Amino acid sequence: MESNKKYWKGLEEYKNTPDFVENNKNEFAEPLPIEDVLSEAGLSTVTPRRDFLKALGFGLGAVTLAACQKTPVHKSIPYLIRPEEVVPGIPNFYVSTFNGQSVLVKTVVGRPIKIEANPNAGAFNCGTDAQAQASVLDLYDVSKLKQPLLKKEETTWSKLDAFVKGELNKAQASGKKIRVVSSSLNSPSAKGVVADFAAKYPTTKHVQYDAVSYTGIIKANENSFGKAVVPKYNFDKADLIVSFAADFLGTWISGEEFTAQYVSNRDYKSLEKKKMSRHFQFETGMSLTGTNADTRIPIKLSEEGPALITLYNAITGSNLAGGTLGNNTNADKALKLVAKELLQNKGKALVVAGSNDVSTQILVNAINAAIGSYGTTIDLDNPCKRYEGNDAEFAELINEMNRGEVAAVFFLNSNPVYDATNTKFAEALTKVALKVSFSDRVDETSDLCDVVAINPNYLEAWGDANSYEGYYSVIQPTINPVFNSRQAEQSLLIWSDAAVQDYYQYVRNNWEKNILPSVGKNWNELLQLGVVTSTAKTAGSYGFNMSLDAVAASIGASSKALQKDIELHIYESIPMRDGKHANNAFLQELPDPVSKVTWDNYIALAPKQAEKLGYKEFDILTVKGANGYAVDLPLLIQPGQAMGTASVALGYGRTKVGKAGDNVGKNAFPFVSFSNGTLKYATTATLAATGGREELAQTQTHYSFEGRNIIRETTLKDYLKDPAAGSGNHHKHKVYDLWTTDKYEKLGNDWVMAIDLNACTGCGSCIVACNVENNIPVVGKDEVRRRREMHWLRIDRYYSFNDEKTGHDVTEEKEIAHMDNLDNVSVVHQPMMCQHCDHAPCETVCPVLATVHSSDGLNHMAYNRCVGTRYCANNCPYKVRRFNWFNYWNDSRFDNYLNNEFTQLVLNPDVTTRSRGVMEKCSMCIQRIQAGKLTAKMEKRALKDGDIKMACQQACSANAIIFGDKNDPNSEVSKALRSERIYYVLEEINVQPGIGYMTKVRNIDSETKEVHA
Amino acid sequence: MRNISLKFKKVWKSAFIFASLSFLIVTVTQAQDLVEGKTLFKNKCASCHNLDRESTGPALTPKLNELDEAWAIKWIKNWKALVDSGDKQAIEAAKLKPTEMTTFPTLTDDQIKNIIAYAKVGEPKKVAEVGAAVKDEGASSLSIAGVIAIIILSIVILVVLGRAVKMLERLILQKQGIDIVEEEKVSLAVGVKGLFKNKKFVFFFVLCLVMVLGSFGWMGMWDTGVHTGYQPVQPIKFSHELHAGINQIDCQYCHTSAFKSKNSTIPSLNVCMNCHKSVQAIQENGSISPEIQKIYTALGYDPTTQTYDKSKEKPVEWVRVHNLPDFAYFNHSQHVVVGEEAIRKEKGLKPNEPVCFACHGPVNTMEEVYQYSPLTMKWCVNCHKDADISGKKNDAFYANVIAAHEKIKKGEKITPAMLGGLECGKCHY
Repeated sequence: MESNKKYWKGLEEYKNTPDFVENNKNEFAEPLPIEDVLSEAGLSTVTPRRDFLKALGFGLGAVTLAACQKTPVHKSIPYLIRPEEVVPGIPNFYVSTFNGQSVLVKTVVGRPIKIEANPNAGAFNCGTDAQAQASVLDLYDVSKLKQPLLKKEETTWSKLDAFVKGELNKAQASGKKIRVVSSSLNSPSAKGVVADFAAKYPTTKHVQYDAVSYTGIIKANENSFGKAVVPKYNFDKADLIVSFAADFLGTWISGEEFTAQYVSNRDYKSLEKKKMSRHFQFETGMSLTGTNADTRIPIKLSEEGPALITLYNAITGSNLAGGTLGNNTNADKALKLVAKELLQNKGKALVVAGSNDVSTQILVNAINAAIGSYGTTIDLDNPCKRYEGNDAEFAELINEMNRGEVAAVFFLNSNPVYDATNTKFAEALTKVALKVSFSDRVDETSDLCDVVAINPNYLEAWGDANSYEGYYSVIQPTINPVFNSRQAEQSLLIWSDAAVQDYYQYVRNNWEKNILPSVGKNWNELLQLGVVTSTAKTAGSYGFNMSLDAVAASIGASSKALQKDIELHIYESIPMRDGKHANNAFLQELPDPVSKVTWDNYIALAPKQAEKLGYKEFDILTVKGANGYAVDLPLLIQPGQAMGTASVALGYGRTKVGKAGDNVGKNAFPFVSFSNGTLKYATTATLAATGGREELAQTQTHYSFEGRNIIRETTLKDYLKDPAAGSGNHHKHKVYDLWTTDKYEKLGNDWVMAIDLNACTGCGSCIVACNVENNIPVVGKDEVRRRREMHWLRIDRYYSFNDEKTGHDVTEEKEIAHMDNLDNVSVVHQPMMCQHCDHAPCETVCPVLATVHSSDGLNHMAYNRCVGTRYCANNCPYKVRRFNWFNYWNDSRFDNYLNNEFTQLVLNPDVTTRSRGVMEKCSMCIQRIQAGKLTAKMEKRALKDGDIKMACQQACSANAIIFGDKNDPNSEVSKALRSERIYYVLEEINVQPGIGYMTKVRNIDSETKEVHA
Repeated sequence: MRNISLKFKKVWKSAFIFASLSFLIVTVTQAQDLVEGKTLFKNKCASCHNLDRESTGPALTPKLNELDEAWAIKWIKNWKALVDSGDKQAIEAAKLKPTEMTTFPTLTDDQIKNIIAYAKVGEPKKVAEVGAAVKDEGASSLSIAGVIAIIILSIVILVVLGRAVKMLERLILQKQGIDIVEEEKVSLAVGVKGLFKNKKFVFFFVLCLVMVLGSFGWMGMWDTGVHTGYQPVQPIKFSHELHAGINQIDCQYCHTSAFKSKNSTIPSLNVCMNCHKSVQAIQENGSISPEIQKIYTALGYDPTTQTYDKSKEKPVEWVRVHNLPDFAYFNHSQHVVVGEEAIRKEKGLKPNEPVCFACHGPVNTMEEVYQYSPLTMKWCVNCHKDADISGKKNDAFYANVIAAHEKIKKGEKITPAMLGGLECGKCHY
């Protein structure tokens, strides 16, 4: 079945606006000033012959003189005493832990330059997220402090210690409270240190809070089952997943881990076993998870609670009050279907909700208990320990500070002046005598502190993490501290006059005493493995038998409170998350997976909503929250956004974070409110146009695919009937050979890729991995607006209609014109990089043979040969070639991003930094291919499948990218390419690409389509 | 008749050579036991002992002079047995230093006697001229000056003699009544002037000039950026000739990673210290060689106390001799390990020469290292086109590819170029 479905990248393309049509005809984003030049007076004036000759002579002389420079003398400075384990040119790998996930850190001559997932990680058997990939850049951040600060003056550690100890003794004498404020601390050793500190200063209490809180889930589980924990979710065991606004593939709890679990039931291997899970998503804004759902129903924030009540009633047959959904008939129909399917899939289903409201989460617990999730898809006995924040304790801290009861406060990995919802935090802080921050820079909070005891980056530190019950990982330093920093834990040990003041020794003692004996490992083994696990407990099943009337009443009240003006949905964006890494240029330039916006946050409205309110895209709107907080944000029209709602991302609007991140976007944390003991990421807002306009730096609207059939999809039903359904492979294209006389055979290897569109969630960690691996420069907001982003790998997001008025499965193009239900769109993510075509159009037009084909199937790019004509980019049907407009690594205009003496240390020495005026593109990590081949040659063995991994492939949690040798019939990629789902993008133009894509399969049927009717 | 002077020269030369050789042979036989003692000392003792200075162990010359020889032999052979036998002196001596001395039960008493004889005589003055066997110690400056003086003197004598013989020959000829015609120098100048008036000659001359200058210009431009022969002055006058040539130290001893990594790496100074902790090339005035002192200064090492001071460390800034541009990727291990056989064959290296010589030239003869090969792309490519890697077909990595190529090529040699070794992306990425 050939797919005729119409896909569009954005509204301008869908509507074929005159601007879009006009822009599409142009090669360049901005018109070239040819006309201006030709019409200028300069051309009409006569240049005298003598002047011409003078200029020519001078020019020739000047150029000759300029060329007469001496060859520079290069110095080589070896180690004085080379560490035994360092061999220049050979990277070393060390295990460490980032944000609870065990990782491998690649170092070259002592510099950490890349993060990979740890293959021994066990439970976290997944790739790494964009934050982990980008975290190496944070190490070299020049906006960090180089010395500790005392009263805003640089100081020495001994002076700082004397001051803090003196103040602590005063606080102790006064009997006032001491508070250690941190985000969730999942390190057993650090917790021990805080406990020791509290033992020395008994008025100490450790307050944990998370900017994006999971207190609702913790409290609900305490309430329902007496276990105050975030449970372990097993998405891999769920055949049916129903999510109410939980972005579990992106930002919710443990996105990468859940991605791996989720995809294991949906990727090509699972499909070959004729198995695919089904996923319903009810949500307000278009989240990453929503774009991957089989059926996505937009609901308002105020409808979330009532929807859950409706579902609960439908499953259990009870009759809780408050289950009315107003006029959202689609949701009503969907909920009925979901209830039916949940009952059919008892024990194999999972319901999750993103809400931080305790009542909502109790109701979710009740539903999960009713469908038998506990013990199968939810594990309460091996809970997740990554989030332990308590919103109420933090709220109480502010009260204590305001009452003047707190004498000393310590901020560890927390920045409440920026991210506390209570805007009065800074004011309350002035009433505390001793304020100590362990921040690595002068940020919003540490700016108001007396002492900034700079804490090193995790790559410079010792530590540990306990992400799940019985799952421990270690953090070990991979470099000496770049600046004069000292670990916060060590500072606390010194200030509490502990017996062991060296934190390394403390961590080691703690492990050797408390953890290692029980798992039968020693310290050195741990440093090699990175992770130890004790035997997991059996997950018990839990029943739910409590009255839900009070819960329903509370949900009803919250829902009612939201039913006015525009309902404002506040969420974590994939690139920026809670804003802690806002100074990371790689993350700022990572496009949002759905809106493709970089370097900004915005207010998202549904197309019809914007039309109704009379706003145009990029209009600047004043958004005024229910609590009176107001910011100006540009408008983004987002198909799939629920009517009557708007979405704003957190994590932007930092004012004191560093050169790259200062004043990017607006802070949305003050919109968050505190009620019923938890933080609420929903409020109401009024909108007003300011009359201003600001173009957002979006990446995807830059290229047009001219309506070609580049996405192919099918439904599970059709796939089961015919695995090749929708792939278009029933009409094989005739293949012509350009070279009829000389045959070019690939006798050695043939490097190819297969990309599973059903596995790819579009999260974008591969993009950051590619940036770090291949020294890809960050260009900044202004350059992105000019279409000059340098990413070798992009993920294209295409919308299509769900609307199925036509009565058949696939919408035909002629029917599109009659459709206007932009709320119900579905999305496909397509990673797009150089396709390494065997008949590459770029190669034939290069006048200097800078891009040529290799005997192993790669399209090579010789930068030193390129003269920058850009014919190749013009001729590339995939638009994957990038032109260097600047010397990004050596141009003061890009100092804020990557160009300075510290951040240049993150460069991969095996990849050239490209100069201005040359093209570049995906090389298929040729440095990794060459290195892998060399390792095999040195070991005198044949190359094995899996020896070589691409940077994007390694970062991918979903295993959506499969790389290997096509000449090896048993390689993973050969098997994948034999799949009936494989199609090649634009294969009809006979470019013979080397990258095969597998059709997107949606688990939809007539019943789910009914929902949208 | 003129042959008289030539004959005289020949006789003089052979007499000199004969005399010096016989002198050497005589001295060598006389010093035989000392030579053996020295060799054994170098192999067995020198890593811990110096003759006249404290090192890991005590200075040997004074120590052995005060010791009873019979006791010393027993101690050297197996001091542990001596201690076990309850010898008081041995028990005392065993406490001397924290490090235990090695035992040498395999040495015969005569060998140990030779060592002691050598060590008692000491170094360097008394055995400096024992002949070829110890020549690698380097002649003292005095003897070099003497040799130079002798050479200059003999040249002067030869010249004077030559003149005298010539004069005598002329006298004889004159006496015989034969006129000697002097060359006409004036006519040459006239001839040149005449030539310049000859238009054909001028044309030809100008043509030649243009061709010569043109070709020089062409070659000059062609060689722009090619630095063959580049020999910068290094911060330490390290002699490869001495280390790799005379002392025969393997390249890998210092350039450890050349066989593992893309970089061959300049050795860090701790590698130098393996030997130069004891090898200090003490000079006439008793001070350490200034070049070796540079190592100590860089490391903050004090040779008298044998301690390191980290605060005084200062890295050595070597000048890079071989500069490949950043956009060219070169991997040493690929060439010296994987491609060794083919490179040896291609460059015609002798079996005893390290494969490194293929590109770096005869490093063992370079007092200071210079760039031997042009390092141009043409130079790389030519080798990739010519080298025969058919020998790799038994290697599991290459087996399939080479078998496939052989099917097409039918027995011709297989070169890296055929396996894609000339493709841009193999070196430029």
